[in-house]
This record gives sequence, C-alpha cells and structure tokens, in this order.
Amino acid sequence: MIARRLAAILFLPLMLAFGTGVYLYLGTMKSTAVKQHAQLPTVTKPRFVLPGTMFVVQEGRLFKLSGGGFTEIGPSGDWSQPTLTPNHSQMVAVLRGGWSSDLYLLDVKGTVIKRLTKDDSKYITSNHWAFYPQISADGQTVFFGTDNPKFSNLDPGVDLSVWSMPINGTQSQGRRWTDPYWYTGGDTSPIPVAGGLLFVRHSIDNTTAVHAQIYFQTRPLAIAKALTAPGDDCSEPALSPNGTQLAMVCSHGGQTMSLEVAPFSDGALGPVRVLLQGGLYASPAWSPDGTALAYYAPAGITGHFQLWYLSVPAAPTPAPTASAGASPAATPLVFPTPQASPIQVTQGVDLTATSPPAWY
Amino acid sequence: MRLIALTLFCLLLSGTAGAAAYFYPVVVAGVGQTGQTVIVPPTTTSGGKPIAAPTAAPGSPFTVLLLGSDDDLKFDPNHVLTQSMILVRVDPVSKHVVMESIPRDLWVPLSTGGSAKIDAAYSYGGASAAIATVERNFHVHVDEYAWIGLKGLIKLIDLLGGVDVNVSNPVLDDQYPNDINVKYLYGYARVAVLPGPQHLDGTHALQYVRSRHNDINGDFGRSARQQQVLLALKAKASSLNVADLPSIVSALSGEFKTSMGLDRVRSLLSLASAFDPTKIQQTVLYVPTYTSYGQISGQSVLLPHWSQILAITRQNFP
Repeated sequence: MIARRLAAILFLPLMLAFGTGVYLYLGTMKSTAVKQHAQLPTVTKPRFVLPGTMFVVQEGRLFKLSGGGFTEIGPSGDWSQPTLTPNHSQMVAVLRGGWSSDLYLLDVKGTVIKRLTKDDSKYITSNHWAFYPQISADGQTVFFGTDNPKFSNLDPGVDLSVWSMPINGTQSQGRRWTDPYWYTGGDTSPIPVAGGLLFVRHSIDNTTAVHAQIYFQTRPLAIAKALTAPGDDCSEPALSPNGTQLAMVCSHGGQTMSLEVAPFSDGALGPVRVLLQGGLYASPAWSPDGTALAYYAPAGITGHFQLWYLSVPAAPTPAPTASAGASPAATPLVFPTPQASPIQVTQGVDLTATSPPAWY
Repeated sequence: MRLIALTLFCLLLSGTAGAAAYFYPVVVAGVGQTGQTVIVPPTTTSGGKPIAAPTAAPGSPFTVLLLGSDDDLKFDPNHVLTQSMILVRVDPVSKHVVMESIPRDLWVPLSTGGSAKIDAAYSYGGASAAIATVERNFHVHVDEYAWIGLKGLIKLIDLLGGVDVNVSNPVLDDQYPNDINVKYLYGYARVAVLPGPQHLDGTHALQYVRSRHNDINGDFGRSARQQQVLLALKAKASSLNVADLPSIVSALSGEFKTSMGLDRVRSLLSLASAFDPTKIQQTVLYVPTYTSYGQISGQSVLLPHWSQILAITRQNFP
C-alpha cells in the first residue's frame, strides 16, 4: 500500500513534467516564419566583408557597416534613405513623423547638423512628405520627391513631384522639376546627372495595371523622355560612380524582379544586361569603384530583406549611342551576361528595402 | 511488468493532456470560428432557373467567397459592410487558382430584398446573404466563405512575420481611415507606402490594401492590391504547419469566421505550397469593360455590365 502511494507521489510530478514537455516541444515545432524574428544588425556578424563604408536602415535606425561590423549611428527616430555628399563628410536622410517627413543634414557619425525642410502641420492636408534625397555632383543642391503641390479635385491628390533646393539655402528657394501623373503616387527616385535629371514616373492604366518607367529630363518642368518601356516596369535606378552605367530593377509586369544594368550616356540608355532574375531585388547601389552592386533581397522563408553583393561582369559592348534607348516602346536589346553569383552579406536582419544603401 | 504498463499509460495520459492544452485554442476556434453553418436560400438566376448547388467532393475544385470587413467597431459586429469581396476558385488537382474581385460599390439586387451596393449584403443578412447575393447575380456556386476583420488581417500578417510584396507605386493617402486602436473612429490619417519590393508588417500591409483615395482607379486599384497581398499571404502560408495553428487562431480570435472546417483549413495550408504562382489568374471588374459609374439615390455606385461580367465569371468559374 505504501509502495503504491509512494509510486503515485512519484508519478504525479513525472506526468506533470512530461505533459509540460509535450506542450513545450509542440511549441518548438512552429514554422520558422512564425517563430523567427529579425535581429538588430549590431548583434550580427556579416558573412562577407564589403569594401568601403556603407549606411543602411532597419526599423527607422541608421547603421554604419564598415570593416565587417555594424555600428548604430544617429539620434532616435524613424530615419530612412540616407544619401552621402560627394566628399562623403555629410549625409542627407529622411526623418519621418506621424503625418509628414523631412530632410535633415547629418554628419557621418549621425549628428544632426541642420533640418532642411519643414513639412509638418497641425492641419492634416497641409502636411507633406519628403523622400528620396539625392545630392548633386557639386554638393550644393539636394533633389527629392515631395507631395507639393496637391491636386484638388474630389479627393486630394497626393502625388510626389521632384524638387530641388540648395543645401545651404531654405525650402522657399526650392524649385519644382517634374509634373507627375495625378492619382498615381507620382515621381520618385531622382538622380541629378550631367545635363539633367533621371527619375521614375508611375502611371496607371484603366485595367488597374501600374507601370513604372525611368525618365530623363533636361531642365525643370521640361518634357521628360522615357528611357524604359511601360511594360518593363523599371524603377530604383542607381548610377555608377563614373556616371556611365545605370542599374535598375524591373518587374516586367510580374511579381518578381530582374536586376538589370545598361550603359547610360547623353540622356539615353544602351543595351540592357540582365544580371539576376526571379527574385525580389531592391534598391541597388554601386560599389565605390563601380565594379559591383549591393542590393536587398529576402533570404529564406522569413522574407526579411538581407544585403547582397554582386560583382558586375564587364560590359561586352561599347558605349551606347544617343539613339540606343530613344524608343522605349521598342523591344529592348538584351545582351547575354555571364552568370553572376550573388554573395549574401548579412543574415538574420531585416533591412529596410526602400532605403538604398549609401556606399563609399 | 505492471509497473512498466502503468508508467506508459501515465506518460500517454500526460502527453495527451499536454497536446490537448497546446491545441486547446484550435478546439475553441473550431467550435466558435470555423465550420460556421450558413443557410443560403435556394438560388435562382434572373430567369428563374435554379442554379445547381453541388457540394465539392474531396479533391475537386471548390469556390470560396472571401469577405474583408469595414472596421467592426463602427458597427454591430454582425452588421458590418464588406470592403472587400473576392471569389476564389481552388483546383487542388491542377494547382490552379482563380481570383475575381467584386467591387464594393456594385449596385445589385440583394438576396434579402431590394437593391443596394453589394457591400451591404453582409450587413443586412450576414454571410448567408452575402453568399446568396453573389450566387444569384454572378451565377456561381459558393462552397465556402471566410470573413476577416481589419485587426484580424493585421494580426495574421504580423504572426506570419510580415509579407513580401513588390509595391507597385507610391500609395499616398491624406484621407486614410484612422479607426484602428483609437477612441474616435471617424478621423483621418496620412499614410505613405513607398514603392518597390519590401517586407510589410500587418499595419503597413493593411494600409497598402485599404487605401483608395489617391488611386486613379479608386476601389479597383485597391482590389488589385488586395489580390497581390493575398498571393503574398499564400506564399507565407506554404511554410506553416499544424503546430502554428494555435497561435494563428489565438491571433484571429473574434476576427475571423469561416464555413470551412478545420480539416479543410489544414488541407488548404498544405496545398498552399503546391500551387504554381504562374497558374494564378486574377480578375478585377474595372470600368469601362465590366462596369460604369452612376448615381442612384444620391450615392455614387458602379453599374454592372452583366453580359461582360457573366462571360468572364463563367470562364473563371466553369
């Protein structure tokens, strides 16, 4: 009898422990997508050491990647889209508030030097967004996209136009460059280049299909010229440091992208080379020497965007002529490219794919 | 020998208890949220001929009516408008999926009587009225329905760790409804979802699929974005397993109802990974081909072009 009672006393905790164990074990069987969360870059070790220094963003925080390690820079806030001045001593970045965003000038340690725009207002429709800062080659002017003016019809049209303003001046000295298609979201990703401006224009047709095209424009509010066809859906342009190669991502109407490169000269694109296809490639940026690209793409089932590095094979063709990309409706020339092998740089982080890396 | 048998029995008992505790939320949801019984009135076409209502046999194609609600807190939970109605046909054998979005402003005869925008069907008579209205007007048989609230969508996407979407254009809106987790439900917020491939959490995914004021195609643009996020969710669902079900049903508590039983939900999860994205066909009933803008009783409505709508619907849902 005593033995039975003793056994019962011993069995109870054993059963409790086993039942709890089964419960906990089932919890560990959850799929990776559900149980795996992104880490801060600073607690991870990049798998590949990139040349130079790069600034990236995760969840509104600015990170510097240099010498194979991350450090966080900058004050708290919802920061994004850092872009460097030509001498790499300062950067302009976007600080997003609840209903607006502004451009700030910072040093490369993340200290705010100056607020460049003031887009917040207590009246909801008087707020503005400022995104996609890019600095001119002489370092004097910042180009950006902002929802100004707003189009008033039945609903307020909130579409980005490209503007420029002097970095050492005021917002009131700003100059509007582009006139977007209304109710499409507008024009994004400006890149000041010799002789004009590259940017992305969005359009929507009546079948609900959305198109993104890369345009070139020579002066403010001039007629812009499409460099890519509507069906190619190309966006997120990045110009090589010497200004001769344009990298871009194109969806061709699908849900996956291709990473493409084309020669750029005299406001025209040359034959396109497809470097990668079939993934979600975002925000390409050229290496300081112009021989490689960094971009974001998801790795694994969690879908968090990681940083990747891709060496760009030498172009097999001579520089383009001005007419090579003049007819965006024409079938694009695609040159075969030796298979490039991307290298995954980060793991376990969740970098903001709409903030292109700033790399020098 | 007896001791060994007793030990095994006790371990089996305690293991079963542990597993039962783990899956308890699923059982509760199984009772409360899945397997909802809907009584759909006999469906007839406008000519009075009854539509055959076969029950989908296991493995055969079936049609689900997906319903996305307006904010539940503004209304009685059982009388909400549906901001989103998508007919989905799933063919488990050919791995073929067809999606057809029904515009919320489509002016149709309701199964409960009278005519109204189709988004009112659910508010007047719940899922059965929404199904019957769709069946009568679109001449399709709906096998199942699934309803999800706004917060449910946010929670589901967050639970899955977000979704990967190629945002097609800047989605900017100065009149986005500010009605989630606030006291005053009728205010506005400004939202900006930037274009390009990105990882969206639940809140930003909802902004992407719900915003419509700055889209030249209004509700049609939003419908296309909803289908896009559904596909992203499908991709994410392909990685789930049975052990995820308790977390999912806990997250969706009160924010999800479906006529599907747990068995079908589970088999859909396992099917999700098998579908070929290139075999997914998407339709939006846009102006001017399928609908036209009109005014009825002071309301802006969409007037159906039934000949075109029925032709494409017959093609999508044979």
